[in-house]
Parts: sequence; structure tokens; C-alpha cells
Amino acid sequence: MSNSAIDVPSRGGFSFDLCRRNDMLAKKGVNLPSFRKTGTTIVGLIFQDGVILGADTRATEGPIVCDKNCEKIHYMAPNIYCCGAGTAADTEAVTDMVSSQLQLHRYHTGRESRVVTALTLLKKHLFNYQGYVQAALVLGGVDCTGPHLHTIYPHGSTDTLPFATMGSGSLAAMAMFESKYKEGLTKDEGIQLVVDAICSGIFNDLGSGSNVDVCVITKGHKEYLRNHLLPNPRTFVNAKGYSFPKKTEVLLTKITPLRERVEVVEGGDAMEE
Amino acid sequence: MSITEYNGSALVAMVGKNCFAIASDRRLGVQLQTIATDFQRISKIHDRLFIGLSGLATDSQTLYQRLVFRHKLYQLREERDMKPETFASLVSALLYEKRFGPYFCQPVIAGLSDEDKPFICTMDSIGAKELAKDFVVAGTAGESLYGACEAMFKPDMEPDELFETVSQALLSSVDRDCLSGWGGHVYIVTPTEIKERILKGRMD
Amino acid sequence: MTKQHPAWSPYDNNGGTCVAIAGADYCVTAADTRMSTGYSILSRDYSKIIKLADKCVMASSGFQADVKALQKLLAARHLIYQHQHNKQMSCPAMGQLLSNTLYYKRFFPYYSFNVLGGLDNEGKGCVYTYDAVGSYERVGYSSQGSGSTLIMPFLDNQLKSPSPLLLPAQDAVTPLSEAEAVDLVKTCFASATERDIYTASFFLFPPSLPLCDGIFGDKLEIVVLNKDGIHREYMELRKD
Repeated sequence: MSNSAIDVPSRGGFSFDLCRRNDMLAKKGVNLPSFRKTGTTIVGLIFQDGVILGADTRATEGPIVCDKNCEKIHYMAPNIYCCGAGTAADTEAVTDMVSSQLQLHRYHTGRESRVVTALTLLKKHLFNYQGYVQAALVLGGVDCTGPHLHTIYPHGSTDTLPFATMGSGSLAAMAMFESKYKEGLTKDEGIQLVVDAICSGIFNDLGSGSNVDVCVITKGHKEYLRNHLLPNPRTFVNAKGYSFPKKTEVLLTKITPLRERVEVVEGGDAMEE
Repeated sequence: MSITEYNGSALVAMVGKNCFAIASDRRLGVQLQTIATDFQRISKIHDRLFIGLSGLATDSQTLYQRLVFRHKLYQLREERDMKPETFASLVSALLYEKRFGPYFCQPVIAGLSDEDKPFICTMDSIGAKELAKDFVVAGTAGESLYGACEAMFKPDMEPDELFETVSQALLSSVDRDCLSGWGGHVYIVTPTEIKERILKGRMD
Repeated sequence: MTKQHPAWSPYDNNGGTCVAIAGADYCVTAADTRMSTGYSILSRDYSKIIKLADKCVMASSGFQADVKALQKLLAARHLIYQHQHNKQMSCPAMGQLLSNTLYYKRFFPYYSFNVLGGLDNEGKGCVYTYDAVGSYERVGYSSQGSGSTLIMPFLDNQLKSPSPLLLPAQDAVTPLSEAEAVDLVKTCFASATERDIYTASFFLFPPSLPLCDGIFGDKLEIVVLNKDGIHREYMELRKD
């Protein structure tokens, strides 16, 4: 906004307009607000016919749970999905951005996206921002070269692994993988192991919680099992409900009726020439 | 002091049966000093879409102006109003653009879709969307509001009951927060009408 | 000069939430049983409520090492009191003792947030609420600890006690029956623990989930004091 008279829709990229002001405020001793974190357990493993990804569904802001059922397994391409941990806005933005780049790439080439393409786009972006874009990812998919599983760290380094975990619950989840993972798991065994790993994070890490999301990707097929397991339902609800001892006092009421919506019927009798 | 606590605010949106409520407090302060007691935190984008902006008031107002501008451009180009989901993505994009120098502002968006399905959403100051089925809160009284709403919320409330619930949750929460209060401002939006009410609250 | 670690702190926060509600002839005191540090759980079955005298219990959250030290000190002081006076300390007396004990460490405080629940000399329910350095007040209900900001507005809404400035002074006890008060406490914890990661909420555990079955603890502990004495109630709790 600094160098243009009117605020036209931007062309993309970050804007650093407010950085100087915010730094000035920070130097004056004002605390800058914390961002929403996923505080997460995310996992992935390779089984006999593909890849299984898993995630919990809790988003936290400090000690408070701000979303009890968020989605942490992001769509990248029809055959590629990506779990995100770290700052919620970053994981969301970075996966959205790369998934649209992949879509454009598919339009251009007319071929199925490869997992390495997604991996390269993600790590390029994250490396560019030197770790300031705080996204830790588990990327999984099946392409023409077979199943792939990668982890991507916020600074842009990557790993290629048969099983991987990330987020604050990664140690709890990895404990499950290390003790039970073997090569050539069947689909059911794989899902069970992923669920066990996520549950281990949910129950032993305070940053993770609520439900289990699972995504199974096989050659030419995927299955997104949203809320595959709900191990933490709320069950105490007072049967009688609560009444309010004192009614609220209203000072002023203004009622604005909304205009009737006019249905425009298309077609009918065609106009004569 | 955190910068979001400079002006103080409380915002809540709740879903009912084919309707929604969005409510805020009315105080504008500079730290502990109260400046205005009739501050508008919730604004109408169009008849069925509202946005409340908590946090630093100067940023809220700037952001609001940019949002209105972008919505008007959209109306000119598309000759229709924005859907709540689209609008939420717009707000998110505007906030994330300033990822490394954010607006100190946490928005709450509430709207009715064309099929009269209520939509509520909140974000942090860099645009991480949180879509909820029940209620969303923001502002300095956010933690208190979480507790109150979690205890009082019931699914599928009719407009009148929704109004009472959201008002009670708001008023009891701001009474435990030094930086927000001075009554409340509640909008109940149904497919046929908008009910705007000003609530009496403690004046301290 | 010796080298000092600037980041080291003698304190930790083990989380947890306590609630107490006073009624006409009863007092309900409740706390969750989770003890945590940072993002890890230290124990799922740690009682935060201790019986200090026949008609007086204390629930404490904060730093449990300090809480333990405080509890031992109060128990010792109470034992001396019993030897000297040949009777149990009353709840108001214990309230004053706790305040004095906390203020005695004004500049190296016990990092504990206490609520004291009990019956006073007339058999009425009483609740005392404290800050870490001994400022205290007799109230009709109170909440302390990590989930207190979530619980307090709802208690206010349901139990709104009369202003302490009213003349003539009015009783701060709540109008609810004992069973209603216990239900209210349960709702408070159910709500707070949905949103506070340091409080374990209770729920009826689905027996079909093999993984969660093995986890013991994470309960809500409710202590009810009335004219018939003291009785404890537990509710199975949410484990994530």
C-alpha cells in the first residue's frame, strides 16, 4: 500500500508493509500475539500396495484447544496427500499453493503428478524462507514409480523413509512404529498401526488430541477416512440442561426484514422469432 | 502487555437452526482506560454476511476497509454477493499476505449460504481458518467465552433461544475480563430478517 | 562470582483445575487428577484434594512439589493445634492459617493456587479462595488453576452470588441442592476440559476401544462434605 495510491488486489507474494511498525512495537516491549499451532501428531508409512497417512485433529493456541476437529491431511493431487504440523496458517498456505502448482503442471503435461515434484516444490519454498515458514510435513503418494513417503522439515531438508512421524507427538508415535513396523504390511495391518501411532500421540502428548484421520493411497485409488476413529467424545451433558436465572436486559432492538429473493425461472416458453 | 490487549474485545458467533448469531462487547479502551462505550466491532458485508474484528482497533478498521473494497470489486465484476466461504478465503488470503508483519486482528465471520445454511469461522492474525459447527470466539475474553459457550451451547437452537444463549455467554464472559464489557451488541440473522439488539451490561 | 543459569527457574507448572461450591449444609470440592508438565503427562491419577481437618479439604493446582510441601506444613501445624486444643481445627481457622502460611513466604512463594472447602461452625458450607501469596476471601463458589478462566464465567452465570458490599451482608452460599451442585461441577469440568489441554475431562468410556481401555486414571475427583461426614466420588475422565 505504501507506493500505490489505491489498494489494488495484490499479485501474490508476501507483503512486508507492517514489519517496521511491528518491530517498533516489539522494541517498545509490546508482546506480539501467538499464532495458531497444530501441535500435532502426524504419521505416514509404506505398506504392501501404497502409502497410509494419519493425523490427529486438535489445533491449539497456547494451552487452549481452538479447534477440536481440524483437518491436517491436506490434498496435494489426486494421488498425493500431505500431513502438516507447525503453524496452522503456514501448513495450510504452503500445501494449498503447491497443490495448485501441481494442478497447473498436470494441465501443462497431461500426466499424473509425481511425489518428487511435490516434494521439490515444497522444499524449494521452505528453503527459500529459511525456516520462517513454519511447516513440518509428511508427504505421501503413489505415482508411476511406486509408493513414496517423505518428511520435510521447516528449513527445507527432506527425508525419504518407510515410516515417518512429525509434530509434538512424533516421539510417542515413533515408539509405536519402531516396535511394530515391518515391511510388506497388509492394508488392514497398516491402518491399525497408523491408528495405534496416532492414538499414542493423542493420549500421551497434550498438544495432540481428539480424533484420528487416516488416508490410504494405493495405485490409482485413494481412501480418505475422515474421523476414522473418535476415541474422545464428550459424553457428560446435563440431562436437564441449564436455564438462565437472570434474563438478559435488552436496551434496543432493530429488526430489518430481508428482501424476498426473486426466483428467476429460466426457460419456459421459448421466445418466438 | 500483548498488543491484542491494547484495545480489548470480545467476539462470539454461534450457530442455530437455519440461523446464526454474532455478538460483541461495546467497549473501546486504551489499556485500562475506557475510551468509548458504543464501539462497533461487527460490520455487515451484505445482508447475510457479517464480520467481527477483534484485536488492535486501528488494524481492524484498516482491514475492514480493505475487505469492503475487495467485496465491492467482486460485486461489480460478478454482479452477486460473495458466499461466506469465499469471503472467509478472501480474509484469510489478505491476512496471510502479511505473514511476517501481520495485522493484529482476529476476525470472526458469520453468514448464511444461499441454501440458508449457517457458516461461522474464525482465524488467527495470519489467516489460519478454523471452521466450526457450533461456535467460535475471539478477543481478550476468548478463553472465558470458550468456557461459557462450551457449557451453554446446544445444537439446533431456534432464534430466540440462540439469542438468549449467546447473550448470556457473552455477558458472563466479559464480566470476568477487565478489557471488554459495557454491554453487548448482538445480531441474530435468519433467512427472513436481521435482529439487531443492544444488551445492557455492567458498566465497569 | 559464580556462574548462574539465567533460564533456570525453581518453579514448574503442573496444571490442573480445582472448583469448590458451598451450599446451605454442604460443600462440594472437585479437581481433576491429571498432573502434567509442558506437553507431557506425569501422572493420570494424582489427587489434588487433601483432607486437612474433619470439616475442611483443600484442592490445589500449580506446582505440585510446592503443594506437597504446603500440605505437609499444614498437616504438621494442624497436629500441633490438636495437641494444644484437643479438637479439630475449624474451616475458617484453617482458612486463616493457610493465608498466613502463604504470606510467610511472600518473597519466595509457594507456587500453588488453592481453594479451601468445608463447613463452618454453624454447619454451613464455606469456600475460601486464595492467590499464591495468601490474599483470601470467603466466597460462595470458586475455581482455581489452568481451567479457571473457562469455568468462572459459567459459575457466575448459574450461581451469581450477592455483592459482598450489600448491607446487611447476605449469605454467599448457593441455592442449589447437593445433587444439583455435583452435576454443575461435572458440567464445568466437561466444558473446561474440552478446551484446556492441562485438565482431563471425564466421559463415559467406550469399552469397544482396546487402546484406550488400558489407560487408567484421568479422573474427576469430587469430595462432598456435609453433616453426615465426607465422601468421595470419582468420574472416569477424558484421556487426550
